[in-house]
Amino acid sequence: MKTGWKLVLTALGSLSVLVLTASFGSVPIPPGDILHILGHKLLDMPLEGLSPISADILWKVRLPRAVMAYLVGSALSVSGAVMQSVLRNPLASSYTLGVSAGASLGAAIVILTGLTLSFAGMLTLPFVASVFGLSTVFVAMGLAARFDRSMHNETIVLVGMVLSLFVNAILTLVTALSQDHLRQLVFWQMGSFSGKEWQHVAVVTPILLTGVLLLSLLTHEMDILTFGEEQALSAGVELRKVKPLLIGLCALLTGTSVAFVGTIGFVDLIVPHVARRIFGASHRLVLPASALLGGPMMAVADLVSRTVLAPRELPVGAVTALIGAPFFAYVYFKERSG
Amino acid sequence: MKRAATSLVTVLMAALLTLTACSAKPTSESPADPPTTAASLPTVDRAGNPITLPPEITRVISLAPSITQVLDALGLKDRLVGIDTQTPRYVPGLDSLPQFDMMQPDLEAMLALQPDLVLVSGISLYASDDPFKPLKDVGIPVAVIPTSNSIEDVMKDIQFIAGCFGKQAEGEAIVAQMRAEIDRIAAIGATITEKKRVMFEIAPLPTIYSFGSGVFLHEMLELIGAENVFADHQGWMAVTEESAIAANPDVILTNVNDIDDPVQEILSRSGWENVTAVKNRAVYYIDTAASSLPNHHIVDALKQMARAVYPDQYAAIGNPLAP
Repeated sequence: MKTGWKLVLTALGSLSVLVLTASFGSVPIPPGDILHILGHKLLDMPLEGLSPISADILWKVRLPRAVMAYLVGSALSVSGAVMQSVLRNPLASSYTLGVSAGASLGAAIVILTGLTLSFAGMLTLPFVASVFGLSTVFVAMGLAARFDRSMHNETIVLVGMVLSLFVNAILTLVTALSQDHLRQLVFWQMGSFSGKEWQHVAVVTPILLTGVLLLSLLTHEMDILTFGEEQALSAGVELRKVKPLLIGLCALLTGTSVAFVGTIGFVDLIVPHVARRIFGASHRLVLPASALLGGPMMAVADLVSRTVLAPRELPVGAVTALIGAPFFAYVYFKERSG
Repeated sequence: MKRAATSLVTVLMAALLTLTACSAKPTSESPADPPTTAASLPTVDRAGNPITLPPEITRVISLAPSITQVLDALGLKDRLVGIDTQTPRYVPGLDSLPQFDMMQPDLEAMLALQPDLVLVSGISLYASDDPFKPLKDVGIPVAVIPTSNSIEDVMKDIQFIAGCFGKQAEGEAIVAQMRAEIDRIAAIGATITEKKRVMFEIAPLPTIYSFGSGVFLHEMLELIGAENVFADHQGWMAVTEESAIAANPDVILTNVNDIDDPVQEILSRSGWENVTAVKNRAVYYIDTAASSLPNHHIVDALKQMARAVYPDQYAAIGNPLAP
């Protein structure tokens, strides 16, 4: 019961952080005004005494951005937790099997060619990027299966790393040779939540929710996998099916996230560890806890990136590590000594 | 148009480098002025390093389009034996010359051209303080012209380049022409009492780049009688989307050229509908090369900016960049 309450409290805290991040920014908008603006936008209430610019900033710029950061933070953390368990490697993360390298290459190709797919329109770049990201992971898995029929974790990680470096090398070459689009490529690779709109949130939400829900149906298998592959086999887990399925779902979560916001690291690596510190190793708790902790952590990192030196914007990828590393050390050592 | 993005990239690289270096070493910090007496050649370059120039320069390598444009204006184009890869986009008739990457030049190939002088911009120094040491070691003078941040320094750069060739008078003439045109704009600018507030974008969403004071584009905004919305800040900066909206500029200028239609991109941004500039469709493109390469062509950008922000007041000023 105690852990149940912990989870409820975490959920409440998590969501209130999201609301708080909406209050802060270049224009401070107090919670009362937020309600006012939401009433105006959602229920068509009159916008007395408030500037339409503040309303636009909150509704069209800040909120979609904060929600996007929250969703991506959650998704990356969940997939990080799963990857660490499946590969039994505390350093594994959502990016281990080359998702981000592949997605970045896909994005670079769209930027360089100016490609627009008729069915994807404005979303061509994220679509192509996620397809490339997913394909890279499937190639990595396919190669790992050829090298090592029983697909040991070491093989998967090694093949993933090598393929990742290989794809990154192509990306570096492409970037170096394309001076005309250097700015777009470099900025895309740095990752950012800037310029995200509700239409992006609307596309990302169902994909990420589906991925997380499917993963949460497999928590029992993940628990067994953490004890090692022999135990998992003897417990009747069909490794050759479950492992690719779990990794594929992680790739879906990460690939979708990277495709929309670029590669933003660190959160996916540390949030699962923090979640395990607080809630123990059972995946029934680790997965929701990772989602509930990763979301606000990313939303806060993004808040810091757009407010600390406002009007200047800092790269969010640097902020996640700058505030994440001390937070991680605090949680880890406090719990250990306590 | 899309091909000319590198000037922007170099500006951004310079900006990023300045950011990461915490502005420890502002590039335009009063390097010693070159002596301009008719007979003597400059003895220090624009970065303050000592150089020894031969009396007659017939073989020169330029590693920046901004420098090559000045050589062109001085009538020295035919003395070039090597250029950077970007130059042919800005100065016609040089395609057949050997080309070098301005950030990673092939020093051996440069050496093989046996230049009397190598002119480089601050961009070529991004990786180390002295990448051209091997050339200097064999006695080839390498003159560094750091990216200038003020109009006054841009003028000194032109005079320095002219001085290297003993063409002080020609350099003076270019600068005098610049001053005359700037004064003409400034005289009108000074009469404008209701200043329009302007935001100038050099990179678009999602990573909007603009600038505060301490950049020649900021000076140019002030000259035309406008107010930079980020005047309280220093140097090149990435600005958050919401602070750009909150600044509520009357006019938005953009010199972005690596997307298809930068003006339309700004006009159709979600959340910007109530920004005065967007509401009044006062969003204008300013020539990328003229507004980012630090040399005499900035006067062309200045005129274009003046006419965009105050079309009535500057109606008599011609637009040299009109298609």
